[in-house]
Amino acid sequence: MSRHLRIVLVHPPHESDASLRAAALHAGLMEACYDLVASLPADFHLPEEIARLQPDMIIVDAESDARDVLEHIVVATRDERRPIVMFTEDDKQSSMDAAMEAGVSAYIVAGLKPERIKPVLSVALARFRKEQKLLDELQDTKLKLAERKVVDRAKGLLMSRHGMTEDQAYQRLRTMAMNKKLKLAEIAQRILDVEDLLG
Amino acid sequence: MQIEKKTVNIGFNPLTDCAPVVMAAMLGFDEKHGIRIALSRETSWAGVRDKLMTGELDAAHALYGLVYGTQLGIGAQPRDMAVLMNLNRNGQAITLSRRLAEQGATDGASLAALMARNVDENSRQYVFAQTFPTGTHAMWLYYWLAAHGIHPMKDVRAITVPPSQMVYNLVEGHMDGFCAGDPWGHQAVLDGVGVTATTSQQIWPDHPEKVLGASLEFVRAHPNTCRALVAAVLEAGRWIDASDENRRATAEIIAAVPYINTGKAAILPRMLGRYDDGAGHAWRDEHPMCFHQGGQANYPWLSDGMWFMTQFRRWGLLKDDPDYLAVAQSVTQLRLYREAAEMAGVAVPAEVLRSSTLVDGHVWDGTDPEAYAASFPVHMRN
Repeated sequence: MSRHLRIVLVHPPHESDASLRAAALHAGLMEACYDLVASLPADFHLPEEIARLQPDMIIVDAESDARDVLEHIVVATRDERRPIVMFTEDDKQSSMDAAMEAGVSAYIVAGLKPERIKPVLSVALARFRKEQKLLDELQDTKLKLAERKVVDRAKGLLMSRHGMTEDQAYQRLRTMAMNKKLKLAEIAQRILDVEDLLG
Repeated sequence: MQIEKKTVNIGFNPLTDCAPVVMAAMLGFDEKHGIRIALSRETSWAGVRDKLMTGELDAAHALYGLVYGTQLGIGAQPRDMAVLMNLNRNGQAITLSRRLAEQGATDGASLAALMARNVDENSRQYVFAQTFPTGTHAMWLYYWLAAHGIHPMKDVRAITVPPSQMVYNLVEGHMDGFCAGDPWGHQAVLDGVGVTATTSQQIWPDHPEKVLGASLEFVRAHPNTCRALVAAVLEAGRWIDASDENRRATAEIIAAVPYINTGKAAILPRMLGRYDDGAGHAWRDEHPMCFHQGGQANYPWLSDGMWFMTQFRRWGLLKDDPDYLAVAQSVTQLRLYREAAEMAGVAVPAEVLRSSTLVDGHVWDGTDPEAYAASFPVHMRN
């Protein structure tokens, strides 16, 4: 992860990105050595541009109505999520915490000084990665559980059909899996499929 | 009754159907029930969702599908949400560009025929806009296209565009049509840039549209405030629906700069049920946007909420079937609604499911959502 964070800045359509807020952000990003790959108007081209640029993070004006265009990107890329950091006028610490806790996004309060931008973005990114890790772990656990269920059912089948003990059934599955170079769950699923087919 | 929070921050987006929350504050129904509604004009639905999460907004004029999308974690982390009441039925539309109309596409059948003719000739994909990925307009658009044999994910490109930018983008040729709430459909007709191919009530007569949404956390901590809020908004909806005079006054107020910020002419005709499709057909609609219908329009039917989940499943936004009824029961604050309706003297139906027939002939009665979600030939299920 030594490469620079690639960032896309989204600004309201029909408005240049030269506002004071944007200027401070530009300066902050430069100072932090982030790679600002594009500053895009929030119009209907946005989803395509984001797909093309594949940034690590998107920064957008939370008060912009283009927020919904961005939501479209979020939903469309649910399987490869990325953090979205937003500007807001709401400077309450509790709001910021709640938003980040929810994992929705990170909030940067308007008027933020350039030198504060790097730490804020770093925290946002760290939070996002932590959340992603947890989600991945959850997904992994779910998968393992599902696999274990399949193996247990196949074992049960071998035990009732062939009078094996649990240990024998397990050994049989493992040997078959090794011989066929398949995962235990895959061989178990095949046995269940055959049972389904032949009754 | 102790009101936990007297000033309630209510978000709304600039659309005709924000009327009940605006009028509840305007006519003083809020004070009658011991609260003060502080209105906050929002510019995006995602912004509304985020602000409900952070507590910057207490409740909001919201898309039905946004509340359920958030509950189910589509696009954001799942959070427990609440539907306090329905704000309105009907009053949305699908608009086709003047250019398509000139090529003969003015309704679903003629659009399908035009697209079938052009399928080899030119690779340009038709582009249609909705307002939010899980919102009602996305669902009306997809449902209508699919009912005419057009696959909304494969045969056309669906994009998200804010309602107020629809007409501009249609003029610029960035898209071929859009689905949005009024006044934007009528505005396109007024400007001579689009035709109304269908109204949402032609897709589903008396369909549920916006809701008063909140986070479940807020509702649990502020039950009396919520009851007072629902009672106030119920009274406002009843007032608007009571006469054409009241609808005129409502249109006058919500057209103003702090609210929708558009001409009254874009709002009023359709509020009165007078439709003109811009292609030579004018009619008096039997199911225009309504805000009360003796309470029928406001009652948060469990089947209404479940319908959005069936469509999320149909279009692959949900990878598995949720426990439709259980989710709808936890989101819909039926008991709180009943108590608020009593405060406002509004009748409450005894049933929690209702039966409707949609444009493709499918009957939705909420009894077997899983089978219903799986019953559509055009879908994106995996």
